[in-house]
Amino acid sequence: MQLNKIQSSFKNLMLDHPDAIENLPDHFGQVFDPGKVAISKRLKIYRNNIIGSLTDVMIATFPIIEALVGKEFLEQMARSFILQNPPSKACLSFYGIGFDTFIKGFEPAKTLPYLPDIARLEIAMNDAYYAKDDLPLNALELSEIAQEALEKVILRFRTSVNFVSSEYPLSAIKQFCENVSDETQSLDINQGGEALLIYRPDLDVRLISLSNEELAFLSFIHNGDSLGYSTSKTLEQFENFDVGHYLSKHIELETFSSLRSNI
Amino acid sequence: MTVRPFSSATTPTETVGIGLRYPHYEEVLNTDLNLGWLEVHPENYFGGGTHRHFLTKAREKYQISLHAVGLSLGSDQPVSEHHLREFKELIDIFDPFQISDHASWSASGNAHLNDLLPLPYTQETLQRLADNVEKTQEYFARKMLIENPSSYIAYADNDMSEAEFMNELAAKTGCGILLDINNTYVQAHNHGDDAWAYIDTIKTEYVGEMHLAGHIEQEEDGEIILIDTHSRPVKKSVWDLYDHAVKRFGTVPTLIEWDQDFPTLDTLVGEADKARAIQAKHLDMDSHRHAAE
Repeated sequence: MQLNKIQSSFKNLMLDHPDAIENLPDHFGQVFDPGKVAISKRLKIYRNNIIGSLTDVMIATFPIIEALVGKEFLEQMARSFILQNPPSKACLSFYGIGFDTFIKGFEPAKTLPYLPDIARLEIAMNDAYYAKDDLPLNALELSEIAQEALEKVILRFRTSVNFVSSEYPLSAIKQFCENVSDETQSLDINQGGEALLIYRPDLDVRLISLSNEELAFLSFIHNGDSLGYSTSKTLEQFENFDVGHYLSKHIELETFSSLRSNI
Repeated sequence: MTVRPFSSATTPTETVGIGLRYPHYEEVLNTDLNLGWLEVHPENYFGGGTHRHFLTKAREKYQISLHAVGLSLGSDQPVSEHHLREFKELIDIFDPFQISDHASWSASGNAHLNDLLPLPYTQETLQRLADNVEKTQEYFARKMLIENPSSYIAYADNDMSEAEFMNELAAKTGCGILLDINNTYVQAHNHGDDAWAYIDTIKTEYVGEMHLAGHIEQEEDGEIILIDTHSRPVKKSVWDLYDHAVKRFGTVPTLIEWDQDFPTLDTLVGEADKARAIQAKHLDMDSHRHAAE
């Protein structure tokens, strides 16, 4: 059998239902040396390595989901996700993208409507953790721009920045799960939603809760609109919007990327 | 194109190293260890943040080797451009004294299976693997080492033994061999081959590094299969095989790998000390032999 055919058959078998290994098609079984131990048992070692290691990656990426549903349930979801969405890259730092959409269609999770949003939060946190290093915008860079040119400036966010909005209180859920052993705490899942900016200024990931006007303004910036346009469009919705306040806040938080050529 | 033999970073004078893994980051930086070098998987450092930060700090103290697990050189398809680009960025920044990957495959089409899967040892495979190794060496403008894999299954229609396959690959591409002593032992046991004969077949001029790791035993159908878990101390039988290999290949850089059920750093360094003692024994024997001549 040609190498290409061997590898695609091997791959399909690894990503198939586990029973498929027990019922190997003859033409594929004959590719291997029979040996003393059944071929199916040897192939299972590889399948366990592959699915097991990817499940470990998913468990490490979704600790809040694990706290909410338990390890066994997360493993069950992760295994189904892996078989349908194997990694497309060898670097697994960003593996798990799409888990939120998968959970939406995962029947046993239907009773937990907030779970896909938690997955989006954890994907954003993971993305920020592994994002490429870059330099923040500092106030001096903006002060060097002439006043009349300022409104044409297009600001960009750091590589690590992601936005996640939800009708559920994401930060409160996260905090609850991080202190899950504290039996005195309580959580009202219906206390109202939240918009978050998730990023990594240095080594640690941070979550910033955004006001409505702040979210509107930052969304225009994120969309690539100029500072002037973003400000005037936000003012149309929020007449008391203070651009200076939010600009200072985000320069201090270091969410914007340097205007100079970045790393 | 001229291919540099190895890096401008000189081969460390201290020939024993350990794999640098996350649980030991702080301790490795804050302790003076009797180690010449550290090895990491480049795939864990493609992004920025914590991992890149600690690798930068570690590089200030130690030489490093970048040991890839993701090029999938044995796949019947070209190596991922994205992977080459990211790997090259690390080579340019960290100036490793050695770079390596495996004689195995992981990717088929768009799926990457996250394991080092076995290859049939045929002329077709040799050509495909050699082609990918050559293109990778050209991209990096330097030679690399290719490691022999551990395996749990063998193909029925091999044209040559694994050791012969490794020699042929090195002869064709100019790459070196990263001889994993544990993998040699594990695959020989699993396929009823002779690990000592394997070592004796590998040509001495090709071996640029050796690996040592622990494995576990798993019973299937009343037979023992060895699983290459990197989760235990190096077994006595593997130390014996290493002794035999050092006698044949000399004191090439040797690495202790440990990737699951992490031990204390002391335990890891203790394993490195054992490898150094075996190297020293052979150096001593060599010098006595030369003195007698």
